Amino acid sequence: MRDNVITLKPDDTMNDVRRILRDNKISGIPVVDDDRLVGIVTIDDFIICLLEDGGINEKIENRMTKNVVTVYSDDPIVQVVCKFDRDGYGRFPVIDRDTKKLVGIITKGNIIEGLLKKLEIDYHEEEIHRYRASHIFEDVISDNSTLILKYRIKGGDFKKAGEQTSKIRKNLLRLGFLPETIRRVAIAAFEAEMNIVIYTPEGELVAKIQPDKITVNAIDSGPGISDVKQAMRQGYSTAPDWVRELGFGAGMGLPNIKNYSDEMKIKSKVGNGTNLQFIVYKEGKSSK
Amino acid sequence: MKLKDIIIALNLEVKTGKDLLEREVTGGYAGDLLSDVLANPKKGNIWITLQIHQNIIAVASSKQLSGIIIVNGRKPEEETLKKAKEEKIPVMISNLLTYEVAGRLYEIGIR
Amino acid sequence: MKLDKIISVLDAEILCIVKNKLNSDITKACGADLMSDVLAFVQPDTLLLTGLTTPQVVYTAENAGVNVVCFVRGKKPHKETVDLAKEKKITLLVTKIPMFESCGILYKNGLMGYSEISKQ
Repeated sequence: MRDNVITLKPDDTMNDVRRILRDNKISGIPVVDDDRLVGIVTIDDFIICLLEDGGINEKIENRMTKNVVTVYSDDPIVQVVCKFDRDGYGRFPVIDRDTKKLVGIITKGNIIEGLLKKLEIDYHEEEIHRYRASHIFEDVISDNSTLILKYRIKGGDFKKAGEQTSKIRKNLLRLGFLPETIRRVAIAAFEAEMNIVIYTPEGELVAKIQPDKITVNAIDSGPGISDVKQAMRQGYSTAPDWVRELGFGAGMGLPNIKNYSDEMKIKSKVGNGTNLQFIVYKEGKSSK
Repeated sequence: MKLKDIIIALNLEVKTGKDLLEREVTGGYAGDLLSDVLANPKKGNIWITLQIHQNIIAVASSKQLSGIIIVNGRKPEEETLKKAKEEKIPVMISNLLTYEVAGRLYEIGIR
Repeated sequence: MKLDKIISVLDAEILCIVKNKLNSDITKACGADLMSDVLAFVQPDTLLLTGLTTPQVVYTAENAGVNVVCFVRGKKPHKETVDLAKEKKITLLVTKIPMFESCGILYKNGLMGYSEISKQ
């Protein structure tokens, strides 16, 4: 709706109506007496009065529509749209439900404008919906459906570190997983990807997607972890200073993977690389 | 403002340097990248960080900072505390995050 | 606090912005340079202040659900970081004000941290 409504008083004349309609390019003006809405005068009323002698100097009181159809400021828009349809009016004064005072005016134009804005906001979300493949697991008939996605990661490539997790994330979004589930998988996978980039020459992320859970394996051919228990300790890190200067390697990576996943396992042998696996359940840990 | 005033105002846990709390604090600095901290703060600034690695003591000492506030309740490594005692760097801990520690220091007039 | 107010109190420059977001409301902020720590504690819809300008800041924001990142002390990221942010629909700002003062100014203007938000 529009607030700061232009209003008239009952003893203003139709001449005033002409001036306001012309200056503001509007088609109807609420008539207010002491903050209370007492009527509405429109361009139609004005045309009719032009056809009668002396009409132009008459008081609005005698020309306005008195039983005005109004809406409350907290009415749902849907209800207002129905009212436009049913009553055939071009505008409704908007009244505050408690104080009964005029607070605005709403036209069909306002509603269309609002809808267009909403459409623009929803466009991005709709884009995601269009690509959603969430029906895949419902369409495929089997006792156990699993989708496996594999991504290669090059060690040392800091410019691209994070890119593969981003792809996993996008796919989970398309598959219709809940944002919170996706957030947990994405954070854990990102840390695993960073570990491969920081510490190993190469590796891969393998995401195994099932309707009820997502299992990610981060497999690398790196130096391996000599003491897994110690590596899991918050704040423990073997990262060189240059890694710390890139905002990683402060000993939070593995604890993050553990905290955001429901299950986590590390298999590692010095000189033989590491296989880190974590699982995130769709409904969270409790219902597994 | 002295370190002891800040400790009271922010309810900090003092890990090292209990005898150094009369130190004057010349301003605040917040950051977790050691290269930034080597470049930017001024002598006597109090440093707010997430880092708990022993390197923070060497950095604070070379920049002559008045003290370090470790945030988010993180526990500094043993080695860090040992170095802090040697270098006479007061190390304090807050359960709050950097944003609120800096915000509250700013509120009591530290710049 | 509205995004345009944040921009004005920090005298920030907009590096990239998602359309129609100037009027969006941001209820909390945090500041950090270590991304794993950010991933550990950050809540969705936070303003993230950071001195780190690598592409991993954008990935961190994406994965953690952070929509607005402000770089402090006038550090501008490389083009690839900005391009990545555009693709991920994350708003990037840069202010000349250092981290400490940026936190202080926003805090003084009523933008809350996590401990206050959780008390509400």
